[in-house]
Amino acid sequence: MGWMEKNLRKLFDAPRKHFEPGGRLGKLGPLFEAIEDVFFFPAEATQHRPLVRDSLDLKRFMSSVLVALIPPLLFGIYNTGYQSRLASEMSAAFMPSFMTGLGIVLPIILVSYAVGLFWELLFAAIRKHPISEGFLVTGLLFPLTLPPTIPLWQVAAGITFGVVIGKEVFGGTGRNLFNPALTARAFVFFAYPAQMSGDPVWVAVKQKASQAVDAVTGPTPLAVTELQAPFNSIQEMLTDQGYTFSTLFWGHYPGTIGGTSALCSLLGALLLIILGIASYRTILGAVAGLLATGFLLNLAASPGTLPWFSVNPFYHLVAGGFAFGAAYMATDPVTAPGTDRAKWIYGFLIGALTVLIRVVNPAFPEGVMLAILFMNMFAPLLEYTEIRLRVKKRIPHV
Amino acid sequence: MKHTSAQISCGLKIAGCPENAVDSAPEPKTVASAPERIALLKARLLKSKGDRVNIGTPLYEDKQNTDILFAAPGAGTIEDIVYGPRRVIREIVIRLDKEQTAEAFTPYPAEKLAGITPGALTEILLKSGVWPLLRDIVYRKVADPGQSPAAIWVAATNQDPFHPPPDTWLQSPQDRRFFQTGIKALEILSSRVFVCCAADTGTGDAQIENRITHRVLRGYPFDDPAVVHYHVKTRPEDNHAWFVNGQDVRLIGEFLETGRFPVRRTVAVSGQNVPGRYRHTRMGAPLGILADPGEDSGRRWIAGGLFRGYSSGPDFHLGLYETAVNIIEESGKREMLGFMRPGWNKPTCSKTFLSVFNPRPLAVDADMHGSGRACVNCGSCTRACPVDILPQFTYKCIRAGEIEEALSHGMLDCVECGLCSYVCPSKIELCQTFQETKQAYFRQRI
Ligand code: SF4
Ligand code: SF4
Repeated sequence: MGWMEKNLRKLFDAPRKHFEPGGRLGKLGPLFEAIEDVFFFPAEATQHRPLVRDSLDLKRFMSSVLVALIPPLLFGIYNTGYQSRLASEMSAAFMPSFMTGLGIVLPIILVSYAVGLFWELLFAAIRKHPISEGFLVTGLLFPLTLPPTIPLWQVAAGITFGVVIGKEVFGGTGRNLFNPALTARAFVFFAYPAQMSGDPVWVAVKQKASQAVDAVTGPTPLAVTELQAPFNSIQEMLTDQGYTFSTLFWGHYPGTIGGTSALCSLLGALLLIILGIASYRTILGAVAGLLATGFLLNLAASPGTLPWFSVNPFYHLVAGGFAFGAAYMATDPVTAPGTDRAKWIYGFLIGALTVLIRVVNPAFPEGVMLAILFMNMFAPLLEYTEIRLRVKKRIPHV
Repeated sequence: MKHTSAQISCGLKIAGCPENAVDSAPEPKTVASAPERIALLKARLLKSKGDRVNIGTPLYEDKQNTDILFAAPGAGTIEDIVYGPRRVIREIVIRLDKEQTAEAFTPYPAEKLAGITPGALTEILLKSGVWPLLRDIVYRKVADPGQSPAAIWVAATNQDPFHPPPDTWLQSPQDRRFFQTGIKALEILSSRVFVCCAADTGTGDAQIENRITHRVLRGYPFDDPAVVHYHVKTRPEDNHAWFVNGQDVRLIGEFLETGRFPVRRTVAVSGQNVPGRYRHTRMGAPLGILADPGEDSGRRWIAGGLFRGYSSGPDFHLGLYETAVNIIEESGKREMLGFMRPGWNKPTCSKTFLSVFNPRPLAVDADMHGSGRACVNCGSCTRACPVDILPQFTYKCIRAGEIEEALSHGMLDCVECGLCSYVCPSKIELCQTFQETKQAYFRQRI
């Protein structure tokens, strides 16, 4: 360790002067600093009271989210490869599947990070502020919400939109109204509908080495319901297509890279809650909202209503990336309200809206995405109301 | 009574609590008075360098209210007047004479106190320089003698790590008598005198035990009188309250009984490479006589508690209210991949380090543990705040210049405990901002 540390230290000390203000690469100062800070944790002395500070900083805070993303990431890689090999009628054993998946997913993630970092750097240099660790999360969250067939240039366009429009025009991390990863996701969804929805997009198939990534047919669970389903038969239809509750729960079906497995999202959510990074209020609120609305619609279901009215509410829980959205997107602290009561309401409404969007318009299978973006918009209002309520309770100073 | 660690309300366990042994520190050669450490004070010197003073001779006065006098804590010659930035008087250093002569005031033992009016008592305390021990609960400045307080709060304990518990400064029957006389005096100034004390801390005396009105279950900062006050107040008028440290109540009593300006202090000493203990010494004593951590760089001296205290050093002197000295590491060493370490030994209020499973109290240091970032609205500060402020929003109001809005959020209720700044992962100087804004608000109001 000591040996490594010494040499690493040298590696940073030698080129430092070029990155200082006025140096040849002065403009890249924030990048240099950001990279150095990753390897050597900054050790500034306290100046103001209190003269002791907690060990937790934003780097660790955000890295915890990355750790929580490991289950959906690994499973997503495997599942992508598995579905691809299955479709190409190749052996779908674990290791080959994983390697195939890696070949498909890794480039998407790398593009997302590289392009995202580029914009972060640019704005960090213009605004003269340090690079915020938030982009570590955005850069990984976004790819996991994408279909594996997405062309890389669209990944680049999406993350660009997410970072620039979703975050930087609002003034950067901490001031953004919308979750940047979701903004990016919504952008590609609406800008390139052909690659984002419809049946053939969910399975990436590497055919011959010379041929590019292509797609095969096979409806996703939420797309199944676009078919004309007779009353009360939606569950059977889903099951007919192979989408039993347990398939949806485990995630063994074609879909977005990281969003198919409710189990993995559950694991991640548990970790985030245990670490105190994500609020269980938002997550439980969303689950409650989803189930409550689902049950209500069940009660209203009749042969004349849309097919999703009658689906068992627990299907909503495991279908269509809801778990992923509730665990990782709804809990983004910047775009969620910061007070406890507001978090419950915020979560609840996300769950409710998700169901409503799905039921009324199954063409937006990723109802959770729109629901969260929509609630992002109302988070400040919830917060404001909560603050007013609290302010009223205070005893004023005359 | 056994303390193994500090009790901090957010769950932090800090190592280094002094052993419950009390000894006397060596006699100092100098003592000092430190006007800089008294909130909102603009001091005007009444003595100059080279002058001879007795214990209790007025050294300086408050420019805004010249009735408020500050007395010399020792007899000797004014050796130096140290200025800080913007010509604020940092310390007035007195080289002590062998013979400690004191100004003589009329003693008012408990029996004689009964007939005294609040006005007369105020006068007596002002003249002798004892008055500044009473403080305003909102601004934590010296109490305004022209005001009649809605209540006076006595802080029998101070759990800001690490402060001497009552049984270290109430050892002899005389100590306890002084304390009781002090309380009697406070009862003349206000009909509502409350004494708050941490739940698990004994005072070692049944009669004093009877005086305690509020027992506080949670750790720092919940036993702070301003926090207790916040939770029991019911009307806006209640905000005009004062508070005083338990040790200082004893001093007030000592002054009234003896007619001499009291100078005894019991100080908690703790930290790296020094034996943690409670030591009797004098008001304004130099920190260097209290502890000797050896010739090693990278140490931070903090006077007045880890959270509320100021950066100091062995050559600095104790301020008027300070009864704790901590010496902690300030290594400046950049840890390789620091943020990824499992952190078995890293103190934290969060749950993101393995140290949550570590039963041992942990050493803290004077390191920021990260660099400044934008607020991510994580809500840690809100959870930490003992007086229901939403620090992240109040901070934003202040930043946007919306002081009225910040006030409605409860900025004046902020007890400046520092927990919000402590827990913030973005290392935002919340507490510092609130304190400065409160003070600026006070200044422009007068
Ligand atoms: S702790 Fe810091 S980052 Fe978190 S909400 Fe408060 S001010 Fe913002
Ligand atoms: S705002 Fe911060 S410093 Fe003020 S009382 Fe709350 S936690 Fe303490």
